[in-house]
Amino acid sequence: MPFIAATRSLGRAGLFSLSVLRASTPTRDFFAELVREIYKIGARSLPIIAVGGAFVGLSVTLLGYRALETYGASNQISALVGLGLYRELAPVLTALLFVGRAGSSIAAELGLMRATDQITALGLMAIDPIGKAVAPRFWAAVICLPLLTGFFCSLAITASYFEAVHVIGIDSGTFWQVLKDAVDFRNDFLVALEKSAVFGGTAALVASYVGFHAEPTVEGTSIATTRAVVNASLLVLMFNFVLSAFLFGK
Amino acid sequence: MTPDSPAVRLTDVRLERGGRAVLDAIDLVVPRGSITAVLGPSGSGKSTLLAALTGELQPAAGTVEVLGAPLPREMRALLQRRKSIGVLLQGNGLLTDLTVAENVALPLRTHTDLPRAVIDRLVAMKLHAVGLRAAADLYPRELSGGMARRVALARALALDPPLMIYDEPLTGLDPIASGVIMALIARLNASLGLTSIIVSHHVHETLPVADRAIVIANGRIVFSGTPAELQATTDPLVQQFLRGEPDGPIAFDSAARAQAA
Amino acid sequence: MSVRGPRLEFAVGAFLLLALASLLVLALASTNGKFSFGAHSYPLKARFTNLGQLRTSAPVKIGGVVIGNVADIQLDPVKFDAVVTLAIDDRYKDLPTDTSAGILTGGLLGESYIGLQPGGDEQALKPGEEIAYTTPAVDLIQMVGKYMFGGGGKAATPDATSTPPNTTPSTEPTP
Repeated sequence: MPFIAATRSLGRAGLFSLSVLRASTPTRDFFAELVREIYKIGARSLPIIAVGGAFVGLSVTLLGYRALETYGASNQISALVGLGLYRELAPVLTALLFVGRAGSSIAAELGLMRATDQITALGLMAIDPIGKAVAPRFWAAVICLPLLTGFFCSLAITASYFEAVHVIGIDSGTFWQVLKDAVDFRNDFLVALEKSAVFGGTAALVASYVGFHAEPTVEGTSIATTRAVVNASLLVLMFNFVLSAFLFGK
Repeated sequence: MTPDSPAVRLTDVRLERGGRAVLDAIDLVVPRGSITAVLGPSGSGKSTLLAALTGELQPAAGTVEVLGAPLPREMRALLQRRKSIGVLLQGNGLLTDLTVAENVALPLRTHTDLPRAVIDRLVAMKLHAVGLRAAADLYPRELSGGMARRVALARALALDPPLMIYDEPLTGLDPIASGVIMALIARLNASLGLTSIIVSHHVHETLPVADRAIVIANGRIVFSGTPAELQATTDPLVQQFLRGEPDGPIAFDSAARAQAA
Repeated sequence: MSVRGPRLEFAVGAFLLLALASLLVLALASTNGKFSFGAHSYPLKARFTNLGQLRTSAPVKIGGVVIGNVADIQLDPVKFDAVVTLAIDDRYKDLPTDTSAGILTGGLLGESYIGLQPGGDEQALKPGEEIAYTTPAVDLIQMVGKYMFGGGGKAATPDATSTPPNTTPSTEPTP
């Protein structure tokens, strides 16, 4: 029965996630691995996040301007862009870009480790492979995604500024003032970062689970990578809805 | 753990995978200090036997004794016991993000409290024993197949385990590299007083260094004795395997999928 | 990925610094800067017959300067008017007891906020006290309807659910 199989699968994934948390011990080696993973999944995702952010900022500004112009409220454009970014666009789009770049690489690396006997070797050396290979990646994702979301926002807002002020002709002072008035530090800015942390953890757990349990063959690795991106993207979108409803529901 | 107890003793062991018996009625004694070759056709259950020796697979019946005591079932005790068993895997299992030296140092750093300088010395010693001291700062992807296998061997020896298990150590190696590995296995076994079990189907490279040989086929041990006795056997299945004949007890035309060999 | 020891650490350190700096700049340049997490505020109450578009966390301003926000909105089940709890920053402790509160909108499409007009009394409102003088929100549509179609008709007390007696006024965008 597919329902039972799906529930068991969910249960296994849940247990895996728990074991990742349990295996996270702050040793020197762990921090060395953590630093390495932050580089691999954070620093190397910067270019795609930065470019993505800039273009999203430009598009939303253009879109928003057209919508607001009808009501003569075009100087509210920065509020529209800022709120739209912080509340929904930045956490979700950054997470999706992250899933595509870093999530797929996590799944691929773990799948490859499985296929080249690295995970078995760790087990035979009495080293917990989850603590060594998975936990650093998880924490690196939780740390990096909020930072990447911050980058995304800063580039999007900068691009929006250039579009609004230098192309459309909004007054520069108005732009910043309206933006600052509209965006609440706690309810918008911090919430965006909190959402990102949740998305980062989710993406890492999904990608790790799929990669870790891949078939130890070349095919297995490639199947794992695809599954990781699909499942992680869907979960991000689902959790985004849940979090938004919960946080902005009032 | 008395000095004359065997390194490994399997008593009437039955191993199952997925409900099916892969090996049955296995009785095996591996004397200390010997090199035992475990031979057999592909799919005969050699890897399953290996899994039983490392505790990965629990026997469905019988007992598995390693280094004088039965293998524990409880995870923590099993992990502790694994530190006394060195395993060289087919895929090497070298961590790609670490250098050769860091790979070899990994068991030492994780399981001992030795200071950095001492670990570095030990790593240098192990690498020197396999002839790769100069490769210490290379990454695994920069190594040739034979070099990677030797690094994996050095790492398996890092904690000086009394028992070494080699899973198909000659896979993918050219004749010279194969020769190097077999020579290393023999030399290290003698100089370090190890017990070695080599699981392989490379009969002609393995037999010269082995003290004892067993052949697994059809889910059982079909031969157990010295290499000389093995060469002289009259069992047709063993003879087919030794001589590499395409047809014989293991038929050329594969049977319908009723029972694998 | 073959970045080694010290270079790797430098790269990660640079990434983290850059990211944290950009977060800091973002927080300062694009948010309202309400960094205080604590309750450095005291509550005041005010009753209104009509809230209009007022919502919780709407700002409370004196003369255009934000001094607090709307913490809670409840309906009094006995008198059926809205009881609004204002959270006023502790820095503005001495609001006179004859301060008045009104619900205003920032521009035609802006959000509602509460504007306070301090009076001249020497005594100050204490935490939890109620502001005595309040003006309800103005329903813009009703007012437009009244002037455009009414003429003499006195609009009844603006009621959230009632529609103007004449044809529903079309909302033409004001130039």
